[in-house]
Amino acid sequence: MRRTAASLLRHSGIGGGGGGGIPQALADALVCPLSKKPLRYCEDSGSLVSDAVGVSFPIVDGIPCLVPKDGKLLDHDQDKSEDCGAEDSYHRH
Amino acid sequence: MATGLAAATARRRLLHLPRHRWAYLSSSAATTEGLDGGDGSGGGRVKIFDRDLKRRHRDRAAWAMGETDALADAVADNLLDRLEDCRKAFPSALCLGGSAGAVRRSLRGRGGIEKLIMMDMSADMVRKWREMENATDDGLETHFVVGDEEYLPIKESSQDTVISCLGLHWTNDLPGAMIQCRLALKPDGLFLAAILGGETLKELRIACTIAQMEREGGISPRMSPLAQVRDAGNLLTRAGFTLPGVDVDRYTVKYNSALELVEHLRAMGETNALFQRNPILKKDTALATAAIYQSMFGLEDGTVPATFQVIYMTGWKEHPSQQKAKRRGSATVSFSDLQKQFGSNQN
Repeated sequence: MRRTAASLLRHSGIGGGGGGGIPQALADALVCPLSKKPLRYCEDSGSLVSDAVGVSFPIVDGIPCLVPKDGKLLDHDQDKSEDCGAEDSYHRH
Repeated sequence: MATGLAAATARRRLLHLPRHRWAYLSSSAATTEGLDGGDGSGGGRVKIFDRDLKRRHRDRAAWAMGETDALADAVADNLLDRLEDCRKAFPSALCLGGSAGAVRRSLRGRGGIEKLIMMDMSADMVRKWREMENATDDGLETHFVVGDEEYLPIKESSQDTVISCLGLHWTNDLPGAMIQCRLALKPDGLFLAAILGGETLKELRIACTIAQMEREGGISPRMSPLAQVRDAGNLLTRAGFTLPGVDVDRYTVKYNSALELVEHLRAMGETNALFQRNPILKKDTALATAAIYQSMFGLEDGTVPATFQVIYMTGWKEHPSQQKAKRRGSATVSFSDLQKQFGSNQN
């Protein structure tokens, strides 16, 4: 019962967990589909970012979309200034 | 290489067979094996299936499918039976597309799975699974991901088992997809897959050919190439799995008419997604196909049978604890000496 409640919380996007919008256990198992390198959760855009190839993958309704075609290419300058660069988010918090 | 060539030939032959806008099932096993075999790099340069179209098919299947599907459930049940044959438990599992919903229904605590990741190309399908998941309450931790089998987004050595039920036959690069599955497995992890084999829907193939010959004076490819049983073992070995095991099962499903069969294929998301498909299917050709199907294969009780051949593949990721053959030429005693030693005792 407790687990169901936890999963309901997760699905509604409230529970969160360490991995940001997705549960930590899932975040631990996911990598970039193209480079197989780790993904970084970006809180500003609510997406998973693969720094290795500069692509961000959306999280829709609590479900990460890791199909290469769904990925958005990150512009390099944008990546640094607004698209949730690691340093930026550090300053903001 | 001889097998690669044979597979390539088999594929060419199949490609010239009829395919329908409503037809359907395919497997890239023979296909990719043959075409990519030459350079061994895979890489999906040869595109046989339209993966975007397949994704839309699966979106459609998400709302067209029923609560249960007898065929998918039977295949999933048979596939999961294999988990019970292992003494090992598989705490973390990855379940890939196709009939993963049926796998989830049939799991019932088998294999000691504690954490399950369900993945499909279609976001609608994944959402549907999540709705179904909320209705079940068996304490299994389930996660959902939208992902492509050809670009598996799963970390290396993170899963105890990878299960794919009736999904992998739509990949352009089947060996590549299987290699990615192997990488995602922990050492001594289990790979379980069910794909459709070449005998599948043979009645429909025949009916399509005859109807097209009759109505259109020629045939166009309507059905995708499917893996043959002999390819499955090669595939497992090529993808680097140890202790490979292949077995085949045949299901005959009875329908009231050929049109109902097509509806079922749509609900399973198994309609034709070949790049070279003919987008037009004339109404009278379709009806003629149904009529020919009925007259050639119809049973006495008025139903029409359809054959589904399912190839089950089992493979393990390498681990030092597994038994294996000694290296060639590593023997220290010759067979003739053995015969001298033991053969003489018998005489």
